[in-house]
Amino acid sequence: MLYNKNKIALVDCNSFYVSCERLFNPSIAKKPVIVLSNNDGCVISRSAEAKILGIKMGEPYFKVKSIVKKNDVKIFSSNYSLYGDISRRVMKTLKQFSSEIEIYSIDEAFLNLSSIKHENLLGYGNLIRKTVLKWTGIPTSIGIARTKTLSKAANHIAKKDLSGVISLINEKKIEEILKQIKINDVWGVGKKLTNFYIKNHINTAYDLRNISANWIKKNTNVLGSRTAMELQGIPCISLDSHDVKRKNCCVSRSFGTKVTKLEELKESITTHCLNAAEKIRNDNQTTKKITVFIRTSPFQKKKYYYANAKNIDFPIRTNDSIELIKQALIGLKYIYKKGYRYQKSGIILSDLKDIAVYKKNLFSEILNEEKRASLMKAIDHTNFKYGRNALSIAQAGLKKKWNIKKQHSSKINMGCFELLPSVRIS
Amino acid sequence: MKLLLPFHLHKVGAGFPSPATDYVEDDIDLNAHIIKNIPSTFLIRVQGKSMNNIGIHDGDLLVVDKSLNPKNFSTVIANVNEELVVKSFIKEKDQSYLASGSIKLKDKINLAENPEIIIWGVVTYVIHALQ
Repeated sequence: MLYNKNKIALVDCNSFYVSCERLFNPSIAKKPVIVLSNNDGCVISRSAEAKILGIKMGEPYFKVKSIVKKNDVKIFSSNYSLYGDISRRVMKTLKQFSSEIEIYSIDEAFLNLSSIKHENLLGYGNLIRKTVLKWTGIPTSIGIARTKTLSKAANHIAKKDLSGVISLINEKKIEEILKQIKINDVWGVGKKLTNFYIKNHINTAYDLRNISANWIKKNTNVLGSRTAMELQGIPCISLDSHDVKRKNCCVSRSFGTKVTKLEELKESITTHCLNAAEKIRNDNQTTKKITVFIRTSPFQKKKYYYANAKNIDFPIRTNDSIELIKQALIGLKYIYKKGYRYQKSGIILSDLKDIAVYKKNLFSEILNEEKRASLMKAIDHTNFKYGRNALSIAQAGLKKKWNIKKQHSSKINMGCFELLPSVRIS
Repeated sequence: MKLLLPFHLHKVGAGFPSPATDYVEDDIDLNAHIIKNIPSTFLIRVQGKSMNNIGIHDGDLLVVDKSLNPKNFSTVIANVNEELVVKSFIKEKDQSYLASGSIKLKDKINLAENPEIIIWGVVTYVIHALQ
């Protein structure tokens, strides 16, 4: 086996959304708590107490309603502005523990701990957990290993371990621990691959680690080989610590009440375009292609189910809200069908590139590009100063009947003076 | 959170240019002054009664730093009976207590005797509007 000196930690926040809701609300600290996805659709975060009750990840809310009632489970609508704020705090806190950190998702980060001495690793891991908990109030679990895939596996075990920190740097322990990890819980192994592996009697991470390289090469793709090698401690996936600008930008929402009219879909698509355009302008990017999509609820009976999408290419790269809306609405007309009860709409801007990359277009003058650019700047500036959607476009609608349901929101928003958390004086 | 106040303003006009122009350095950043540790600092609104003796009133904004440990007479946010409340932290003869605004002896909570009480954070500033 190849020897490598990497020490990679995966820090993962425990039941992150639930932990955020608990931060300012100690009355739910020991109660079963769940957080629901946009529009109160599915369960997306569960406290340990809720897991014990048998509430599954991703389950639709209506299916767990009886458990919720019976056990007085506290439910929350997702409050992404709060979770985003707490996530930034957690990541900032983590940054002081390593110069090389990859923010992997809203609640996970890989840290390069190669400079920490072997014998100090567990202590260092504990210090990280203690600091994050004290500074941000968020509990975490940490897995440390030679590769990212192994650190994911270590983290999986750390979640169930009281200590909260598991290191697989010590070679002897690895095999024993990998035997406890089911193949579908291995990082990079999806549903399809899981079925294939199980058919071939590869049931645990340990089995995959010890499969012959030839067999893997023959029977899976390069990703399969990569995962197997990473489980053997050979790093194939490097730490990505650079701020990579996005290549796509997707904005989509579920509706509060089902939408049937084209007019209302138009309003929602226009709003999505405005939000997406602002995002990419903020990153100094332009797009080449827009995708518009709409769908009904997937839990609908077959004959009531409808989903469709339409791609439209722009003649020239743009980040102009008005241009995006124009094309998006043309796309929407294409795919809209009367008689369906729509649950979700969205747009995706793809092939994003930095503004500097594209040169001035021959037609720029005709399209009044510069004038438009300064109009967009004025809109962004006004909205930054006076709040999202202070300045909008009439097409986006004023009432927004379709806006999402958030019946159980904690309504805390750290970016808004009116919605800050509060304390009592007793 | 972003707030920049101009530290120095100089009108451009005819006549002798202000000799102070060269000394204009930076804007005052109230956030940087008040917030020492960004990831652990929270703005929290006071609701209900006031704590007149320490100058905290209903509706004030508290700047709370979770990373700090309380000193004697620190104002803290504590988790008491499953609720976040403002208290005074008092040390006496190796014992730590929480007291409410009135500082009556009988209101004092001995922290050693109530291990379930957790200090949530230390209040570093009070923002109180006078108008």
